[in-house]
This record gives sequence, C-alpha cells and structure tokens, in this order.
Amino acid sequence: MMGFYFSRLVEIYPFFLKGLWMTSKIAFISLVTCTLIGFILGIFRSGKNIILKRIVGVYVAFVRGTPFVVQIFIVFFILPEWGLQLDAFPAALLAMAIMGSAFICEIVAGGIDSISKGQWEAAASSGLTLAQQLRLVIVPQAMRVILPPLVGQYVLLIKDTSVVSVIGVMELTRVGWVTVVRIPEGLMVFSLVGVLYFSISYPLILLSNYLERKMALE
Amino acid sequence: MIEFKNVNKWFNKLHVLNNINLKIPKGEVLVICGPSGSGKSTLIRCINRLERIQKGEIIVNNTPVHDKSSNLTKLRAQIGFVFQQFHLYPHMTVLQNVMLAPVNVKKLDKKVAEKIAREKLEKVGLTEKASAYPAQLSGGQQQRVAIARGLAMSPEIMLFDEPTSALDPEMIGEVLDVMVKLVSEGMTMCVVTHEMGFAKKVAHRVLFMDEGTIVETGTPDDFFDHPKTDRAAEFISKILTH
Repeated sequence: MMGFYFSRLVEIYPFFLKGLWMTSKIAFISLVTCTLIGFILGIFRSGKNIILKRIVGVYVAFVRGTPFVVQIFIVFFILPEWGLQLDAFPAALLAMAIMGSAFICEIVAGGIDSISKGQWEAAASSGLTLAQQLRLVIVPQAMRVILPPLVGQYVLLIKDTSVVSVIGVMELTRVGWVTVVRIPEGLMVFSLVGVLYFSISYPLILLSNYLERKMALE
Repeated sequence: MIEFKNVNKWFNKLHVLNNINLKIPKGEVLVICGPSGSGKSTLIRCINRLERIQKGEIIVNNTPVHDKSSNLTKLRAQIGFVFQQFHLYPHMTVLQNVMLAPVNVKKLDKKVAEKIAREKLEKVGLTEKASAYPAQLSGGQQQRVAIARGLAMSPEIMLFDEPTSALDPEMIGEVLDVMVKLVSEGMTMCVVTHEMGFAKKVAHRVLFMDEGTIVETGTPDDFFDHPKTDRAAEFISKILTH
C-alpha cells in the first residue's frame, strides 16, 4: 500500500513542484508590490491631506469589505469590458496587489499614527522636509509597530494566492484540483498541497512570533 | 529680528492669540509667562510656523513666516526650538540626534557635523553621553541634549517652550545653567517659563499673557515686584506660593 502511494507521489511530484514554483512566484511578486504600494498608501492615509486620506480610506474600505474571489473576478472578467484585458497570471498579480496593499496600508498607517506629534514637530522645527521627517524620524520608529503584523500579513497573502486558482492560474491549489480528478488518492493530494503551503508560510510565522517578542521586550 | 503685527489665531471658536503686536530685537532674552491656556506656547510656536495664524503677520529676519512663498526649511534652520517634553529621537544615539539636521538640512559633511555636534554636547556638559540612547538619560540630560540639538544648526534665535516644566526639581538647575550660558553669548531667546529666578537673573523683558492677549510687559524687576495689573499681581502671588 505504502509502496503504491510512493510510486504515485513520484509520478505526480514534478507537477506539484511546478505549482509550488508558480505559487512562490505570485507570492514573492505580490509581497514586494503590496509592500511598496501599501507603504505609499499608508503614508497618505495617515497624512494631513484630507482628500488623499479620504480616497485611500474609501479604497481600503472597499477592498476589506469585499471577498477576494469577487475582486479577482472583477479584475479578470469585468475589466476586459472596460478595455483592460489581462491574462490570468497578470490578472492574479493585479488582484493580489489591490487586495494586499489595502491591508498593508492599514498596518502602516496604524504604525505611523502611533508616533507622537512631538516627534514630527521636533523634526519639522529643525528644518527637515516632510519626506525627510518620514524617512529619518517617523518611519524608522513606526517600523517597530509595523513589522510584526506586516510579517503576519505576508503569511495571509501567501495563503490567499490559492484563491487565484479560480481563474485558472496553475499554482499549487489548481494543481491539486487538476490532479485529484485524475487519481483517486484525494487525501494524499491535498495533504501534499497543504504541506507545501506550510513549508513556505511556517518560516514567516516563526519570524512574526520572533519579531513580536523582540519588539515587546525593547 | 522677530516682529508680530496684529497677529490673530483661533482654535475653532477659541481666540488664542488676540491682536498680538510685539518686537523682539536681536540679542534680547524675552521671558513669557501667564496662566495655562493663555496662549504663550502658541505664541512662540507661531514663530517657526508649528502653528498657523489666521490674521496678521510675523516677520523673522525680513522673512514673512506665514507667507506661502517663504522657504520654511531655511527659516526653521535658523530657529532652534526646545520642547517641554524634549522630543529626542529615541531610535538614535545622542550624537545622531544632534547631527541629524546639520547633515540633512545643511548638507554638511558627516565629519564636520560630528565635530560641531561634539562641540555642542561639550557646551551642555554631556560629552561622555554621545553614544548613549535618550532612554538611558535623565530628564535633565535629555533636555540638555535637546538644547545641543537646537544649537547644532547655529541658530540665530532659540525658542524654549516650558523647558523645565517636565523635570524633577533637582534637574531644573542644570538646564537653566545651560540657558544662562547661552544668554551670556548673546543668543536671541524667547522662553516660556515660570522660573522667576531665571527671569530675574537674565531676562531683559518679561511678557505676561492672559486669554490670548499681552496684558503687561516690563523689566523682570518691575514686573515681579511692582506688577501694574491686578491679573499679573494675582498670577505672581500664585507662582510664589504654589
């Protein structure tokens, strides 16, 4: 029996490695873009410009208030009606960027808001420009508040990449689906999928825990 | 050097600065006192535009502070500001705190900025704390670092917003000593404080504010010993007996 499972595993594993590679690719690109966009939005969200603050607020509320699957469908099926036709892979990346940046925006804004007004005033009164105040004084301090939940958010984003399987991107979850209709060992297939996800996200979970303890100590 | 012309400011309906006219010549040491909420902190915070004004004009060294076309960075670089709560940057060492603005605003070479920073730390008596972090210092030491940080930009004006109010009594002296030293070097200073001893010893002029207006000005001796208004007399008796 075990020998049979093993030979199945040997048979299907190249397929799963491809899926893992695709998942890693989507996750990596998404984490980078979500972080960049999320920080910019977060700075606007915590800033003094009321109009930008409101616009970002509406964006965040919309993204947080709708399921990710629906957002993917909008990007993949509705945007083409407005002239933006994307393949599944870029559509997946765009949807991830929209969703992830909204969550990271809130984490960043929360971190910046936690810094006292006095720090801004001290930096401003010495002649630093707004960008310098942020870069040299505010963000380095806010990072202590931002980092633990940010890494936690990364774990969620990695798992959320599984949702892009609904538009046919051949990532890990999709590979699981496709495999399971061809062979009878469903439990083994999705166990394997689960283990592979876990192998990417667990190091980040450990990092998040570590950061939380470290920041709490300081 | 600093001039207020019919300056008015409101916080919503509260009239915090009511038609302020004031001239502070170069080299003057002005002490501003008054009950809390009288607008004294707001007054000096308007000088480097930490607060906006709604009416009137403030001119510092021929620059209209509240004019949109004025170069705010350049203006602020020549005005040092010391806060009640110090507001040192907790993620930087003492030396980095003092060097930050010279390097990033004046674009000084790091070595030059470090030399200046060490000079200023020596002036406030904290040479040996250069590599410490603010959290490792006492309140009095933190405030002296804050003064050094202001001085590192070689400002023409130093503004102090209740610099000793957050300190334990035994630490007030060390901060005032540093400020007295600055007076002897001819620095133009506006100091919001209730430290009568400091005012009597070094101030050229005392300004008493209440409810957003300048009620009374005079030399320290005149003001504290022979106040002209009842409000000032009442205030002085309160800070004497507290």
